[in-house]
Amino acid sequence: MFILDHLNPFPLADRLTANNNSHIWNKYLQLNDGEWIKITAPSGTGKTTLMHILYALRSDYTGNTIFNQHNLRTLAGNDLSTIRQYNLSVIFQDLKLFPLLTAKENIELKRVLQTPYCSSERVYEMAQTLGVTHILEQPTSICSYGEQQRIAIIRALVQPFNWLIMDEPFSHLDQANKKIAATLIAEECIKRNAGLIITDLDDDDLFDYSRKLIL
Amino acid sequence: MTQLHTILKKLIRNSASRTKYTVAIIGMSIAVFLLLTAIQIQVDYNQLLNSKSSRDSIANFLVINKILTDANMGNSTLEDSIVNDIRQQPFTEAIGMLTPSKFKASIQSNSSHFPFYTDISFESVPSEFIDVADAAWTWNEQAEYVPIIIPTFFLDMYNFQFSLSQNLPQLTPAIVKMIVFKVNIYGSTGTATFNGKIVGFSDRISSMLVPQEFMQWGNSKFATKQSGNASRMIIRTKDPGNPKLADYLSKHQLATDADKTRFSKYRKVVDAVVVISGITGGLMLAFALLVFSLFIQLTIASCKEEIRLLIILGASPQQLAKFIFKQFYPANIWMVFVAILGVTILQYFIHQLLAAQHIVLTSFTSIYTLLSALLLLFVLWWVNRNSIRHSIYSKIN
Repeated sequence: MFILDHLNPFPLADRLTANNNSHIWNKYLQLNDGEWIKITAPSGTGKTTLMHILYALRSDYTGNTIFNQHNLRTLAGNDLSTIRQYNLSVIFQDLKLFPLLTAKENIELKRVLQTPYCSSERVYEMAQTLGVTHILEQPTSICSYGEQQRIAIIRALVQPFNWLIMDEPFSHLDQANKKIAATLIAEECIKRNAGLIITDLDDDDLFDYSRKLIL
Repeated sequence: MTQLHTILKKLIRNSASRTKYTVAIIGMSIAVFLLLTAIQIQVDYNQLLNSKSSRDSIANFLVINKILTDANMGNSTLEDSIVNDIRQQPFTEAIGMLTPSKFKASIQSNSSHFPFYTDISFESVPSEFIDVADAAWTWNEQAEYVPIIIPTFFLDMYNFQFSLSQNLPQLTPAIVKMIVFKVNIYGSTGTATFNGKIVGFSDRISSMLVPQEFMQWGNSKFATKQSGNASRMIIRTKDPGNPKLADYLSKHQLATDADKTRFSKYRKVVDAVVVISGITGGLMLAFALLVFSLFIQLTIASCKEEIRLLIILGASPQQLAKFIFKQFYPANIWMVFVAILGVTILQYFIHQLLAAQHIVLTSFTSIYTLLSALLLLFVLWWVNRNSIRHSIYSKIN
C-alpha cells in the first residue's frame, strides 16, 4: 500500500501554490494493494516526478511517501534494493536500458538480480508475444525505440512485484502493439495480485482501472 | 549468481590497462615474497639458535674475565658493579662466579707404574653451570675422594701430543676416571692429603673444577691470602651470537672465548638481511596496496553510470561490492600463493646448502611464515573490501 501524504515537489512548488486541481499533489492519498490506477496529466505537470518519487529515486519534495510502512524518502542502500527487487517494478519513460548489453541480457540482468521469478522460457514467450524475439541478441543501442520500449516492458515483468509503476510505457507503440502489451502486463499483474500505476497524457481503457486520477 | 556476474562483467570492466595491472601484481608478489622471506629467515635463525643440538651446547655458556692489560695486571678481579651490571643485561639468563682456590695444591700419582706430579690450582662454580652430570659431584670431610672435572682438551692434549712425545700410553676417558691420585693441599696450618678422582670432562669451562663444598672448606682452612672477588664468571645466555653481547664485552674490556661469540657476526648479517628485506617488502606492499586501491577506485569511477543504473534497477550495493571484490581479490590470493611458493623453494635451497655444511635446518616453510601469509591475506581482504565499499557508496550517494 502507498500513502502519499501531501507531496509537494520543489520544482512544482510555485505552480501548485497558484493553482492546484491535482488529485495527488499536496493531498492525502492512499493507493491500496491490487488497485489499478490511471494517472492522466498534460505535459509538465510532474508525471515523471511522481513516478520517481514512488520508486524512491528522488527526495526533493515535502510531505511523505509511505510504502508498506517504509518512508521511501529515508530508505536507502540494501533495504531499498530489496524493495526494488521484490516489491516494486518500473517501466521508465526513458527506458534506462544498458545500450551495450543485448536485449536479452538487459532482461536477464533483472531476472537474476534476485531469486528468479520466471523462467527463461517464459521470457522468450513474452518476447514472442510482443514480437521482439528477432532482436533479443542485438545490443539495445541498435534497436528502434519501439523495440526498446517492449524490451523494457518485458524487463519489468520478469521480477516479482506487488506494484508495477509505468511512466508513459506505450508512447512509441502503435495501437495494436499497445493492446498486446497491455494484455501481457495485465496478465502478469493478475498472476501476482499486483497493483499498477500508469501515467499517460491521455485517457484510455487499456486496463480495467479501479481508479482514474488527474495529476 | 554466475549469470548475474557474467552480465556484470560486461558492464563493470577493470579499467586499468593490462600491462599496468600485471606490473602491479608482479610488484605486489615481490613485496609479499620479501616480507615472508624476512619472517622465514628470522624463524630459521631462531631454529638454529634454539635447536636441541645447540641449546645444551657450550655455546650457551660463556666464561668471562677481564682482558689483561698493563694497566690492570695483578688486579683482574671482577668488581661487584660490573657483575651486577652484567646480571641486569637482557642477554644474561643466569650468572655464576668461578671461585678460585686461595691455597697451594698439587696432585701426584699413587702408582709407581704411572708416576706424575704437578702443582695445580682449582676453581669451583655452581653446579647448574656444569655440563657433567654426576651424582658424586659433592664433597664432605668424610668423602672417600675429591671429585674433579677437567677440561676435555686436557685429555686431548695428553692423548694426541704429550703421550706420543713422551712414549706414554694413551688413555680413554673411562680409564682416566678409574685413576685415583693424591691431592695435596698446603696451608699455613699444615698440609692435607686427599684421594682425588676425575669424574668428568667439561667442554664448557676450561678449568680444573672441584665441588663448591670442597672449595669453601679449603679456602677457609688453608687460604694463604684473603682475596675479595672472583676473576672469572660464567653466564648462561640464550644467544651467544647476540651482537649486543659481543658489543657489551668489547666495550667493558671483557673477554670470552671468541669462538663462542663468532655467531654475532653472522647474526649481524642475518639481522641486516631481515631488516632490509622486511622494510623493502613492507614499503613495496604499502605502495602496491595503494596502487590496487587506486585500480579499484578507477574501475568503479569509470563505471559510475552503469553502477548508478544498476542500483536504480534494484542491484544492491552489497551485490555489486561482492562482484567487484571477486574481480580483484583472487589476484591477491594468487600473489600470496606465488610468494609462499617462492619462499618454499628458497627454504629448500637454504636447507640443501646448510646440509652440505652439516647444519640441520628444516626444508619446510615455517608455520609462522604461513600464518603471516594468512594474516596478509586478511589485510588484503580488508583493504579490498573497504576500498570497494567506500568507492561504491561514494558513487551512489
